[in-house]
Amino acid sequence: MRDFDYAAPTTVAEAVQLLQSHNGAARPMAGGTDLIDQVRVGRLTPDLVVDIKKIPELTAIDFSTTGLRIGAAVPCYRLYHDAQITAAYSALTDSATIIGGIQIQSRASVGGNLCNSGPAADSTPSLIALGAIVVIAGPKGTREVSVDTFCTGPGKNILERGEFVVEIKLPARAAHSGSAYQRFIPRNEMDIAVVGVGVSVTLDAAGQNFVAAKIALGAVAAKPLVADAAAKALIGQAVSEATIQKAAEAARAIATPIDDMRGTIEFRKHVTGVLTARVIQQAVERARAT
Amino acid sequence: MAEERKFGWGPRKDNVLIGKSIQRIDGFEKVSGKAQYTADINTPGTLYAKLLTCTHAHAKLKKLDVEPAKKIPGVRAVYIFPAGDLKAEGAGEIFWDGTLIAAVAADRPEIAEDGVKAIIAEYEVLDHIVDEEDLKAAEAKGATKAVGKNAKGKVEDALKTAKHVHKGYYGVHTISHMCLEPHGTHCEWKADEVLDIHASTQNVSGLAGQFAGPLGIDAAKVLVTANFEGGGFGSKFAADEWGIAAAKMAKETGKPVKLMLDRATELKAAGTRPSGYIDVTLGADETGKIVAWDSHHWGSGGISGGSIPVGGIPYVFDFENRSRTATQLNCNVGPTRAWRAPPHPQLCILTHCAIDDLAMKMGKDSYDVFLTNLEQTAGTAAHLPETYKAEMEIAAKLIGWKEKWHPHGKDAGKGAVKRGLGMALHTWGGGAGGCACNVKIHADGSVESFVGSQDIGTGTRTVIAITLAETFGLPLTAIKVNLGSNQYPASAASGGSITVGGVSGAHRRAAQTALWKIFDLVAAKYKVDAGTLAAKEGSIVSGDKKVCTWKQASMLLGPMGLETKGEGPAEDGLTSSRVGGVQMADVSVDSETGIVRINKYVAVQDCGLIIDELTAKSQIYGAVIMGIAYALSEERVMDKKTGRYINADLQNYKLPRIGDIGEIVVNIYQPDSEYSRGVIGLGEPPVISPGAAISNAVANALGVRVPVVPLTPQRVLAALSKSKGGAA
Ligand SMILES: Cc1cc2nc3c(=O)[nH]c(=O)nc-3n(C[C@H](O)[C@H](O)[C@H](O)COP(=O)(O)OP(=O)(O)OC[C@H]3O[C@@H](n4cnc5c(N)ncnc54)[C@H](O)[C@@H]3O)c2cc1C
Repeated sequence: MRDFDYAAPTTVAEAVQLLQSHNGAARPMAGGTDLIDQVRVGRLTPDLVVDIKKIPELTAIDFSTTGLRIGAAVPCYRLYHDAQITAAYSALTDSATIIGGIQIQSRASVGGNLCNSGPAADSTPSLIALGAIVVIAGPKGTREVSVDTFCTGPGKNILERGEFVVEIKLPARAAHSGSAYQRFIPRNEMDIAVVGVGVSVTLDAAGQNFVAAKIALGAVAAKPLVADAAAKALIGQAVSEATIQKAAEAARAIATPIDDMRGTIEFRKHVTGVLTARVIQQAVERARAT
Repeated sequence: MAEERKFGWGPRKDNVLIGKSIQRIDGFEKVSGKAQYTADINTPGTLYAKLLTCTHAHAKLKKLDVEPAKKIPGVRAVYIFPAGDLKAEGAGEIFWDGTLIAAVAADRPEIAEDGVKAIIAEYEVLDHIVDEEDLKAAEAKGATKAVGKNAKGKVEDALKTAKHVHKGYYGVHTISHMCLEPHGTHCEWKADEVLDIHASTQNVSGLAGQFAGPLGIDAAKVLVTANFEGGGFGSKFAADEWGIAAAKMAKETGKPVKLMLDRATELKAAGTRPSGYIDVTLGADETGKIVAWDSHHWGSGGISGGSIPVGGIPYVFDFENRSRTATQLNCNVGPTRAWRAPPHPQLCILTHCAIDDLAMKMGKDSYDVFLTNLEQTAGTAAHLPETYKAEMEIAAKLIGWKEKWHPHGKDAGKGAVKRGLGMALHTWGGGAGGCACNVKIHADGSVESFVGSQDIGTGTRTVIAITLAETFGLPLTAIKVNLGSNQYPASAASGGSITVGGVSGAHRRAAQTALWKIFDLVAAKYKVDAGTLAAKEGSIVSGDKKVCTWKQASMLLGPMGLETKGEGPAEDGLTSSRVGGVQMADVSVDSETGIVRINKYVAVQDCGLIIDELTAKSQIYGAVIMGIAYALSEERVMDKKTGRYINADLQNYKLPRIGDIGEIVVNIYQPDSEYSRGVIGLGEPPVISPGAAISNAVANALGVRVPVVPLTPQRVLAALSKSKGGAA
């Protein structure tokens, strides 16, 4: 195993400086639940591990009328233990409750899940569905990007050398809206998603028509997919089985999964359709319940 | 009175400990982490060894350069396995992914891993075959071998005149051994060329010779210890080439070496349960009585055989007109080892799914078809048909068969989720294994036992303590059990569910022998009739009268105390063999996603006299969980293109999670007629039925058979799609 140094800066500027100075061989660490394993098996060989949990902004949660800000290193359990967050951003807390088990959730962060950029990451489809903005700090200052464009391929994202994610911002929840995330795994818990679907819908006041919708798919392409065609199938339509099936069919159509031991292409596309319909249904129920 | 002194168990109603639910005497050590498993042994200076394996299914080793590993600081030894030894005659051809090539021992595990990575191995990749199911493809490649055919009666005629005929295909894929504690040893050379081994083994008394031969030393110089063990399940009888490697590297370096298999190598190299597939035609008369069976089964146990033999099909039953053929596929896959009740789980799936489909075809309740055929249970002890019948009745009550059963595929529910019931039955031997022990009663009344058996996680220590405590009328705490060392009297390897009978029989004999001696001394000293004496609650009593305390009695033994030997097995009624069991599953199947959920699982099991109800039930719970694993998700996945074992890690080798298990109800069938049979093993039998019972429940839910186990969502959906005329 390659030896590495460890640093725990307390400011964003210091972290940027450390990350930049190691010529690409420095790695931020939040919970370490991906990172440590990847270092042990030799997939990552950093010279420096920069623990970002000591930077106050990175572990802060700020819920307000304008939206939610989550420090990039906030562990999952803090999200689902928060009743306000659970009510307003249900898709995200759905994700946070199923990433690993209790031990993992005490360490694992949504920021780390996003930056690890695995195609099957459980929180990314929820972030997409909820319209998240990623706040990035780097040598050139701070920039903000839509989470839709953050991941670029398996394990790949738009971060440049010296950059790291500081926080994730979610817009305030609209009236009559609801969101949900579900994944398909062959076992009951602790498994990698074969298909993951995040959905956010906004209904009219009567709860009868879709006013807005955003749908994202995980594990069925090289990166999480923004399923615009599926969302379009809902927007402006009456909430009905037929509408939902159309959206499910659209999601199915854009999925481009690979054949592997977790499932054939046909199987994964089929499950994408089934799951999309079920998650839309759940998001609708939640929207109506408020 | 001497002629009345016969070995035997006491009247059931008098038992204080036997048959009660008693926690393990080493439970605290285990749950607190105090128990030292082989993987925990770290004597000063211990080196850690890691392995290089070949990841090709079939290849020729062209070059092996271990020098770069040796140059790494902290690397102390490099060992080359026979498959990696290019100097050896005929060496260099590798037949399966996971073949051991070299081992590196270093100061730290990470350094050993670096050493393994530094080794240069070059291969010429050869053609391979890893598909164990595709008989035609294997035949085309000349990779099959007929392994038996036999028939009785007039099968063709019987099929022609049968009222109902069903033709089906069923299978079960290969699974790997997956002990929580992987295989491995800690080897340390002591003064006078004595090799001190801690091994994760099921075979403490039988291991010394296996090390001595290859090392060129006397077996008498090999000490073997196994105090605690994280499972064996039939895979841990041998010294294994990695054990020899550890011993040789320890010798070379003059330091202790610990070599535990990494998880990938454990899954690839430490043995598998072979696959089995069957084409079968069976026929029944109008009552559902099966009158003909005609089958051909095949599967692979690796490149050198070990597939499911021809005997044993059909399972539990045998029919008047029966023909069976077996073929073995020689595939480039890791070798097989005995896996808990070999090969009964496969036999059960291949047989009882076919019987259940016959019931489906007849529109009959599967329960009735199994019941109708009980009189055709094969070659087993005569008690079984009645026992099965009684057990079926109990199981049916516990699962609510009568209330919940519906014809196959006729769940009245409207949603995507369908519910179903299924059952299967099984049999096993479980006769007592060879066992010798010494029981020592010290002059202060304390009791010790010495036996070269092992507790592979089944509760052997507790069973021994209960046997002795019951016999001597003492509390469990008064007994010290010493096992897990080849310095104690030899005992058979723990395989075949023979340990509980072996150790309880031998210890009862040793204890009764000692007790009679004590009774004689007490009789002489206290002027009572020895024939009236009994040991109860820490005293020696004569009828209602207390004669003396156990301590006072022990003092009569003199300063040396008393040591008695126990042996077995013997035909004295303490132990016997042959058990049966009935299991039923209640499942829900999501017909849109293919997910199968266990709602409730009932296991009814007989096994003679139960020493400890709690450890017995634990065995059944564990077996059912292991069964749910291979029924729903557990399988070895071989990549057809590369020939590699691609899920040899715990993320992708899918064992169930706790939420996949559902409610398990265990019922031990032990009327007095069972108690009087004496002790019989049950470690293996309850793992046999789950594959068939769950598959049958899924078939009942859907009205469609998912032919091959495990019943993964993808296979469930494929079967549904095929039944609707789609592609499989
Ligand atoms: C047993 C187990 C079960 C798991 N189950 C699941 C599961 O069900 N679903 C799932 O999606 N994942 C699962 N994971 C993976 C992992 O836990 C998650 O991806 C987790 O969210 C990662 O968060 P972390 O804080 O631990 O990230 P880390 O391991 O600290 O970091 C992950 C990666 O992101 C980089 N990184 C971290 N923070 C930042 C930042 N702020 N800016 C830039 N880069 C950063 C790191 O350098 C590293 O490459 C599991 C892991 C384990 C060990």
